[in-house]
Amino acid sequence: MKEAVEGEKRAFMSGNEVVAWAALAAGADFMYGYPITPQNEIMHYWRRLAPEYGRGFLQTEDELSAGFATIGGILSGKVAFSATAGPGTVLFQEPLSMAEMMRIPLVVVIQQRGGPSTATVIYSQQEVTLACFGGNGEGLRLVYSTSSHQELYDYTIKAFHRAWRYRFPTLVLGDGYQAKMHEALTLYNPQERGWGKVPAEPILGLDRKGSVRHLRNTFSVEEELAETLRRSLADYRKAAEELVEYEFLGEWGGELLVVAHGIVGRAARAAVRGLRAEGRRVNFFRPITLRPFPGQAFQEALRASGGALLVVESAQGQLGRIIKEALAEEESGSFQTLYRPGVGITAEEIMEAVPL
Amino acid sequence: MRSWKIVVAGEGGQGVQALAQTLALAAYHGGLESLYIPNFGIEQRGGVSLAMVQLSAAPIGAPKFQIADLIVALSPRSYRRCFQHLGPETMVLYDSSLMEPPRVEDQVVGLQAYDTIAPEAFAERVGRHPRREESPPPGRRLIAIPASDLARKHLHPRVFNMIVLGAIGAITGMVELELIKEALAKKLDRRFAKDPDLKENNFKALELGWEKGTQAAKEAAVGAEV
Repeated sequence: MKEAVEGEKRAFMSGNEVVAWAALAAGADFMYGYPITPQNEIMHYWRRLAPEYGRGFLQTEDELSAGFATIGGILSGKVAFSATAGPGTVLFQEPLSMAEMMRIPLVVVIQQRGGPSTATVIYSQQEVTLACFGGNGEGLRLVYSTSSHQELYDYTIKAFHRAWRYRFPTLVLGDGYQAKMHEALTLYNPQERGWGKVPAEPILGLDRKGSVRHLRNTFSVEEELAETLRRSLADYRKAAEELVEYEFLGEWGGELLVVAHGIVGRAARAAVRGLRAEGRRVNFFRPITLRPFPGQAFQEALRASGGALLVVESAQGQLGRIIKEALAEEESGSFQTLYRPGVGITAEEIMEAVPL
Repeated sequence: MRSWKIVVAGEGGQGVQALAQTLALAAYHGGLESLYIPNFGIEQRGGVSLAMVQLSAAPIGAPKFQIADLIVALSPRSYRRCFQHLGPETMVLYDSSLMEPPRVEDQVVGLQAYDTIAPEAFAERVGRHPRREESPPPGRRLIAIPASDLARKHLHPRVFNMIVLGAIGAITGMVELELIKEALAKKLDRRFAKDPDLKENNFKALELGWEKGTQAAKEAAVGAEV
């Protein structure tokens, strides 16, 4: 396979072009996609560049098909990905749920547009809930929210590595602004920055010992599902410790913590810098992984800021809900839980769960 | 050196996006921080087309901004979409062969509207639609360049946006003319290779715009056509 980027080079381009270059540089073999604004140019650039570097592209008949075709490519051992937006992200929940269940390293880049439904082709941050928790499951996904073209490049490359290493579907959550705007970034060959090859291998077929591998997404009884989920949830919790990423600006003795993610993080960071220059003790926290959420770091940042919080987002509280859950964990003395995904709950179990 | 927040407003097909993108690219080649973001609806032609460009020596924050340092107006209705970006210090460069002097009085300055719901209608609804003004008020910085007429008369109608770009380059003083030419040549390399006349016309348009812009920047006389 021909290397797409050799050495380092500065470039000035649109975010969609950045994603195409990042996927090439990461060593992605194949893209399956269906057009939707504002991600179209990811497909266009990829299709234009792919043949030059021995990579492939297939336009499918819709997003459901794009998602499952990508899964097909991945099962055969190819580093495959897709990209979508808005109503396309809704349709992608079916293949994403299958990828959660069967632990398939499905990589999808999402360029958020306005919603609900067709709405606008321009911009929003309204696909946070879909990206993090959209499937009929527990949201066992890795979601990176980027705030610059450099991050779009860095985290698209990282998404392939993390997906294949941890075997959870991985999403890079951009938006229409990031997709369309032009700014500078440094392109580099990931191998020269210590990334090896994406650890891809055929998932279906024969394993190293010659026996047939099976993947399941259907179970006969509740307990089988519960056991599978228990393992996946445990893996996810463990991985979360290694995966969470965030940006914090500020120090102890703050009067307020401003929280924003993605492109809004830039405005929030600039505002916090402005306020600090005026002598205000305002701190800034930006989760880069929305899922898993860097809860512990957030709680420390909040304590450093006197417990006062301003959540800013281009959505009606989708990040807000994630923050509220992190707050509930903080006050877990009064917030008990009894979670039993996919299995029945008896009165006896609830009685046992009530604290003495 | 200062930073510039620029809105370019025109009609789809006028070359607003090409102009803005070329300016941002030239600034990037000149070693500046630069960010360009298009802002238009779903029409391919005929709709209002806005572009935002930020040029700065320091890293740039959010891609969009509220108050512009410079608004470039290439059609009346697209200018109305810019009211929300107008501040007391905002400079307005407009194509005087395509529109009347734009209105910049206080009732318009800083008027809030959403560019996705026809803000001129919004402005009317709240009873703050700007009055017609015969002459630009003192202290406002209005620059008139008849780019469309100049292009038709001296070059080719299609290169009128490059006259505007040349003028923006001279007025902002952040990017050398040669860098703008290089950026344009890079953007249109295949078409320039096929058609040397196209290249010459575009470069001449940039030079003409640069000359008019330099003149305008020098003349303190506000509102005078150059």
